Parts: sequence; structure tokens; C-alpha cells
Amino acid sequence: MAGKIIADTIETGAGADISTSYVVNGSAKAWVNFTQISTQTVRDSFNISSITDVSSGRTFPISYTSNMSDGNYVGSLYQNAVTGTGYINFDNQYVGGFGSKTTSSFGERSYGSSGDIDSNAVELIIQGDLA
Amino acid sequence: MQTPSFKGTHLWDRLCWAKENLEAYQSDYRVVYEDSIDECAKILVPDPNWMACALQGGILPPVWVYHELAKDEAQPDFKKHTRGYLLHETEPVGAMTEEEAIEYLIMKDCPQSVWQDWDSGNRPKMVICRKEQLPQTREWRNAWRISSEIAA
Repeated sequence: MAGKIIADTIETGAGADISTSYVVNGSAKAWVNFTQISTQTVRDSFNISSITDVSSGRTFPISYTSNMSDGNYVGSLYQNAVTGTGYINFDNQYVGGFGSKTTSSFGERSYGSSGDIDSNAVELIIQGDLA
Repeated sequence: MQTPSFKGTHLWDRLCWAKENLEAYQSDYRVVYEDSIDECAKILVPDPNWMACALQGGILPPVWVYHELAKDEAQPDFKKHTRGYLLHETEPVGAMTEEEAIEYLIMKDCPQSVWQDWDSGNRPKMVICRKEQLPQTREWRNAWRISSEIAA
């Protein structure tokens, strides 16, 4: 592959340096932005092969293209539990679910004041170790 | 655009290349399946960036690699993958048509119990359709089943 750079450390102009392992291990390994409204659709993503519409407000599995090493990775989830996508459109005094983690997939549940509900904005970031 | 020679390149690096160089492709295909009689139908939606990789070729590993990793994870003493190299060092598969990509995705992301004998019971457990064939509203979503109309 052209343009390959091999380096153990990265140094700033001020002389501060960090190991490249900080960068590699700290990078998000997958992310996805999708809607559960109508036919669920992925707007954009990285390292995701498919999502599966299970029922209202529930998407499982959300599958990786490049598997994680184990199921102990972490994720950050935002789901707005309403049909809008603006910053004023949310019903998230209730917390959505993120779990059922395996090395190949995970699940997401959108929950609002009326129970399981399709969200127009489901946004997830995954960090951890790749297989 | 020609895919670089990726054999031996970490799959994640290949996906980085694809993200930078390929245009995402939104497929209209959906896979509707039922893996439990007690649950409503599930709908698999292909990811547009993954679909671009499948159509391009030379990026994704063969599907059997995922099955091997799934076998490893199913072991009772599984802690973490030790054969991740299968993802990165196995010769990538070539370009697929959209239909071939959906078949690959079914074997990768649907339960094997569904696609191995999808048509051996009284009614099909799985249907590949266009998204326009699905109900346009989400009414009664939690009770959706595969209809005989769409199965035909």
C-alpha cells in the first residue's frame, strides 16, 4: 500500500511527543449515524456492514466489518427518541440502550417517554481493540 | 478506480482507504427474516460504505473468515480473538454484483439457522425484497411477519 508511514512516536513543534500507540488505541474503531424512521437507513458509518431493524426503536445486530477483539469495548450513544434531527428535537430524559456486545456486533434501543420509539437520530461511536 | 493490492493489509486500514476513495452506495435491497416464531420479522439493512467495498472488490475477506471467528467466540472458554489475522491476511474477495453482495451479507450477518434452511418449513423464513415492498408506515411494526405476498 502506497504512502505507508511507520513511526513509534509523534512529536509536536514544541517538542512534546507521544507514542503512536496512543493514537492507534485511542481512535474510534467504528461509528454509525442512522435513522429508525420508516425503513431504517444508515446515513453514514465506518466499519459497519449492516444494521437490523428488530422492532420499534430497536436495532440489533449492528454488525462490524472488522471484528473487535473481545466484547469489553466501549461505546458512546446518542438517540433523540423523536422524529426530528435538530438540536431542539429530543425526548431524552430517558436513556437509550447500548449493549449485547459481541466481537461481531452490538445492539441499540431507543427509548422515550412513550416507551420504545423510532429515533431519527441514532449516533454511536465505538472504541476498543480490534481483532 | 483500481483497488491497491491489499493482501496482508489490516482490514481496518483497507476500510480507511475505502472511506477516502469510494462513494457510498445505498442499496434498495432489504432482507426480511424470522428467526423466532415468538418475535416479529427482522429487516437487515446493508450499510452503504460496506456495499461500496463489496462492489469495488479486493477489500473484504471471504465470508468463511467470519464464520471461523464466530466459531471461536462460541467456545465456552473464549476470552479474546487469537485468529484475527484471518481477517487481515486472507486473500480479499473480488468485486461482487449487488445481488452477490446481499448473499454474502446474509451469510455474514443473518443467523445461520435462518439462511441454511430458509425454505425448508411450511413457509419461508427469509425474503430478499426492495425497500418499496415494505410497509411505508411503521404502524404495527412490532407485529410484522413475512406475508405470503412478498414471499412469492
